[in-house]
Amino acid sequence: MKLRRRLLKEKETESINVSPLIDVVFILLIFFIVSASFVKVPGEKVVRPRTVTSESLQKNAILFALTAGNSLHYAGEKIAIDQVRSLVEGLRREVDAPVIIQVDQDADASRLAEVAREGKKAGATVSIATRKP
Amino acid sequence: MMKRRLTSLTADSVEINVSPLIDMVFILLIFFIVATSFVNEIGLTPKHRDTADPSRKLEPPLTFQLTAEGRILNGDNEIGLAGVTPVVRAASAKKAKPVILLVEKGSKAGLATRVMDQAMLAGAKTVKLSAIKSAINR
Repeated sequence: MKLRRRLLKEKETESINVSPLIDVVFILLIFFIVSASFVKVPGEKVVRPRTVTSESLQKNAILFALTAGNSLHYAGEKIAIDQVRSLVEGLRREVDAPVIIQVDQDADASRLAEVAREGKKAGATVSIATRKP
Repeated sequence: MMKRRLTSLTADSVEINVSPLIDMVFILLIFFIVATSFVNEIGLTPKHRDTADPSRKLEPPLTFQLTAEGRILNGDNEIGLAGVTPVVRAASAKKAKPVILLVEKGSKAGLATRVMDQAMLAGAKTVKLSAIKSAINR
């Protein structure tokens, strides 16, 4: 009888403690805020060339993709080469971001040279994305 | 006296309702999870200086050509991909020379990138990629 009363009493007063949950959620939130970089990805699958001297590139960059079919993509859309300069200039007015070209190893090198030249004309540092050998 | 009792009473019984706060934090969390894209690229950065500046005396550049058939030429000589490193290393023994890679229309970007990689491996600091109509020396 005594035990039963105690159980009942506990059930009435107890509620789930949500403070650890809130703590964890806050930590996750802070992690995602800090690591968030709102970069528009080209959304094209390219086979990057293998190189030895590659180094880590800046995360906040303007990404272009040059596919094996020699089409240029930015933020999921196909664009022409002569659009590159104005686009990069417009984006660089807000933040000083470099240009990264994701090039397929079977793409035309002269197209790559043209895209790189347009990026340079807009005043950006141009890098070519590669992969480890 | 009356007022004091009232405040002490409210402090005892009233708790801040945290549910809206938790809701907001969850919404923010979901937004950031969805919006985050983890882009982590590695690559080459072939810098080159502006050659239009007349006050700067430039070293004569080292020129390579890449033909549509995938041949790598240095002047008249055909060198393979493995031949790029010795040529650059020999030329820039005293002072780093700028390298120009002329790529013909139809040549592979993968090979061009690997030539640039080899040149940078040999110590070239500035590599310029330039498109040409066709190779000068056939």
